[in-house]
Amino acid sequence: MSQLAMVIDLKRCVGCHACALACRAEWSIPVDYHRNWVYRMGPEKTPHGLSYTFYPGLCNHCDDPKCVSVCPVDPEERTFKDPKTGKKKTIAIHATFKHPFTGAVLIDKTRCIGCGSCVEACPYGARYLNEELDDPKADKCTFCVERLEAGEQPACVKTCITRARIFGDLSDKSSEVHKIVASGKAIRLTSKEVNIGPNVYYTGLKKDTHLLIKTYAPHERKWENVKAPTRRDIIMAAVRRLKSAV
Amino acid sequence: MKRRRFLKLSASACAALAALELKGTGMFRPAAASTGGSTDLPGSLGAKDIPSVCEMCFWRCPIVGKVKNGKLVKIEGNPKSPANDTRVCARGNSGIQLLYDPDRLKYPMKRTGKRGEGKWARISWDEALDEVAHNMKKVVDKHGPHALAYFDHGASAEFMRGVFKALGTENYTNEPAFFQCVGPAALAFIKSMGYITSGTRQYVDMKNAKAILLVASHIGENVHVSHVKEYMEGLDNGAKLVVVDPRFSAPAGKADIYLPIRPGTDTALLLAWMNFIIENGLYDKDFVKNHCTGFDDVKAAVKKCTIEWAAPICDLKAEDMKRAIITLADARPHVAIHPGRHATWYGKGDTSRHQALAILASLFGAVGVPGGLYFPTPVKKAHSECAECGGEPETPDKSIQEDYYPFASMFGSPTSKIIKASRTGDPYPVKLWGINGVNILQTIPNPYHTMEAINKLDFIFCEEILPTETAMWSDIVLPGATYLERFDAVYTYDLLTPYITVRQPMVKSMFETRSSYWIAGQLAKRLGMDCFQRKNIKEIVEEELQGAGLTLESLDKKGGLVPLKANPYRERKDLKFNTDSGKIALSVEDYADEDLDPVPKFIPTPAPPKGFARLIYGRVPVHTFSRTMNNSWLHNEWPENELWLNDEAASKMGLKDGDEVVLENQDGKKSLPIKLKVTPGIRPDVVYMAHGYGCRSKMLTKAFEKGASDQFVITRYENDPFMGASSHRTNFVRIIKGTKVMDIPDLCPLPPQLPRFQLKKGHTAKTGGGK
Repeated sequence: MSQLAMVIDLKRCVGCHACALACRAEWSIPVDYHRNWVYRMGPEKTPHGLSYTFYPGLCNHCDDPKCVSVCPVDPEERTFKDPKTGKKKTIAIHATFKHPFTGAVLIDKTRCIGCGSCVEACPYGARYLNEELDDPKADKCTFCVERLEAGEQPACVKTCITRARIFGDLSDKSSEVHKIVASGKAIRLTSKEVNIGPNVYYTGLKKDTHLLIKTYAPHERKWENVKAPTRRDIIMAAVRRLKSAV
Repeated sequence: MKRRRFLKLSASACAALAALELKGTGMFRPAAASTGGSTDLPGSLGAKDIPSVCEMCFWRCPIVGKVKNGKLVKIEGNPKSPANDTRVCARGNSGIQLLYDPDRLKYPMKRTGKRGEGKWARISWDEALDEVAHNMKKVVDKHGPHALAYFDHGASAEFMRGVFKALGTENYTNEPAFFQCVGPAALAFIKSMGYITSGTRQYVDMKNAKAILLVASHIGENVHVSHVKEYMEGLDNGAKLVVVDPRFSAPAGKADIYLPIRPGTDTALLLAWMNFIIENGLYDKDFVKNHCTGFDDVKAAVKKCTIEWAAPICDLKAEDMKRAIITLADARPHVAIHPGRHATWYGKGDTSRHQALAILASLFGAVGVPGGLYFPTPVKKAHSECAECGGEPETPDKSIQEDYYPFASMFGSPTSKIIKASRTGDPYPVKLWGINGVNILQTIPNPYHTMEAINKLDFIFCEEILPTETAMWSDIVLPGATYLERFDAVYTYDLLTPYITVRQPMVKSMFETRSSYWIAGQLAKRLGMDCFQRKNIKEIVEEELQGAGLTLESLDKKGGLVPLKANPYRERKDLKFNTDSGKIALSVEDYADEDLDPVPKFIPTPAPPKGFARLIYGRVPVHTFSRTMNNSWLHNEWPENELWLNDEAASKMGLKDGDEVVLENQDGKKSLPIKLKVTPGIRPDVVYMAHGYGCRSKMLTKAFEKGASDQFVITRYENDPFMGASSHRTNFVRIIKGTKVMDIPDLCPLPPQLPRFQLKKGHTAKTGGGK
């Protein structure tokens, strides 16, 4: 099975924010929200020296996506096709789901009821509920699968001025992402408490990855506190949807 | 109808989902050819591509605009460009938000309130242009042509500069870009090496370097895409990085050796390094012997400048200084001595510091070789007479351009002297200012003097895109078109990856805005000149392209850009410099002829008075000077600046990260409130903030009063004695929290060589500077 993944090389990253803006432009993300961000850390002392580095973040398209498990929308069957082999597979999916062949975590906007459960569940804050819409929907990074289909790169990768973002299929042994991850040099933003298999990896100087983990590895199992939407919430969502349609 | 729209939306959402079934084998199938405006695809897919050139900063990367239904939806790098390919920086990506900024100047306006109040009435273009032309004529008739002064920057300013020049003023170019920024560095390299190694661009081959030296160059915080790209390629290839900076900057975070130098002592470090490599034979003897003049003068001048002499001055460890210079020397000649860019730090000694960098590069033989300083590749294009207005101004008996600083006229009239002349009438009255592409109140030291000068003018006008502080102070405001709405000239790039390209409009001009060419032409016509009268600037572009064997059509077919072959390096036997001797001048006779030091000398700049720290400043990667603070996307990324304060100093003062403070400088001028960033990454004797924030124009609704402006606490400056640039790092601040004025503790003992700045009683130190 394929798994799309990204490695971000903090040694190359200069913290310029081009990735965040290219994403905003590509997907017309309202300024109150983001799919893609750059946070700054330091200068701060670490056991490996003074560090001044960055956290370029996006959805991790996790192996065990908690956003998917909390989605209250009734599963519906859907048939997916393996882009490599053409093999088909039918599975039942919620409104948000992990693509069985690419590993991208995606949202079926036609079925999303805008309850915000997935937004609350994500320990990385990678999702938002777009309340600028009459019928609010959850939204987040798609690894630009729409662009991949058209033969394009993800917007953030295409604009990255130092080629710090390396994107590819982790299952493809010839891919750069596979090579870096297999070398053991890349780290994931995980902790003892939160270890759900993020597929965005980071490499860099020891001081920088140290500071990144210390500052931004999540510890709160947020998905455990998500309350399922009430019947009323679901009805209200249906009403909103109808209203915006009329 | 609405219902159908809903169904259609659902259908497109399904289409997007269907698209998830990645067809074919690879993820990276060749990109589908642009279909020229298919709008049913998501994002920017299917948009029409229009190649052009960015102007979110002066680096001017080639771009393509993605247009759907006549609306610009995205900007990417032009894939044909060998310099940046598909990459654009944060600002380049956000150009759309300049184009569609609701705060944009939409039509010509006339001031109705007091200057600076920002009260305006809408007028017609005819009325606005008549008014400007009438006032220009009136001032020339009454005071002569030199009473006109033009402050210019960027592509929009070029045509109007021609109008001022044709009217005969010696003050037709007065670029803050030189007198507030790169001037001293540009002069130093022109005089030593015969070409402008650092001007708009820096000809330094970091990509092929084995070691790189950055002296307070913050690559990554200031972002010019091809420059950053080559820097990173160099580091990727294993180049060692030495960073000299009082602050732990973004490149310091990547450095092999970081030297947290005491501000104002860089030249002492460079002299000590020269001494070290000369004494230890670590220089390129062949290169120095055959391609340089003046070596003995340099050797004599640095004789006493040992590492041990410099260490206490620079507040660095001698062993670190040695380790750094040995690292650089080991890489010779493939060592990139970055020539620097913003050089107007301390006034006295700025040109010398960059001359010292030129000498260091020369001693390493790091000129004309891969990994060193290199030569520009001339790019052929025709020169269109129509891009000029003619005229060569006469020099007046008392000249602003020539009389104060021997080398100022290479760059224009020093801004500080224009402001002085406008305030005082000395050496002659300046009565009218035209301003184009530069926000002078957030650019030039002592904005209080600038405002005083404006109040004494007969007339002031500007061409602007946004209602900046400068627009607020103008009598007439002419709304310009952005770079996304107009043609400009042909652009050539002469660095490692040369090319020729053009800027062309992606969308029609918004509102009543007009292109710079049209505005200059209309003004010229009203002043009785026949320049800039082509119906369309396209004709000029075609004429210039002809010289390169191209037409707009043929260029468009090639993707809007043609890459060219580079010629940056020379065999040693072919090395020839455009200097009097044909060799690099390590000692510059032209300086000696003007009673200036022919070789660099360390001139200490006054250290902070007790209780104060030196104010230094820099850039954030998402903003260009003060130009982009109102851009909604960029504003959102980095809405306000912070004041970096050393953690030890902060702890002694009882201040913590995030505290809001106000700065008060040596002249009692206060800043807007700013939040503290407490960090070990800055020396205790300096504080730092990003430049460009603290906007004072209410009409810039997003940027207004966000963060603090460095410029409004930079009131004291000294002029570079060589070319008259105004210094920016000669101001000292202390911190006010609430009502409490706090002294910054003195944690960096001074050696006897370094005098302290003397405060005047009650903080009434003389503002402004001068020779």
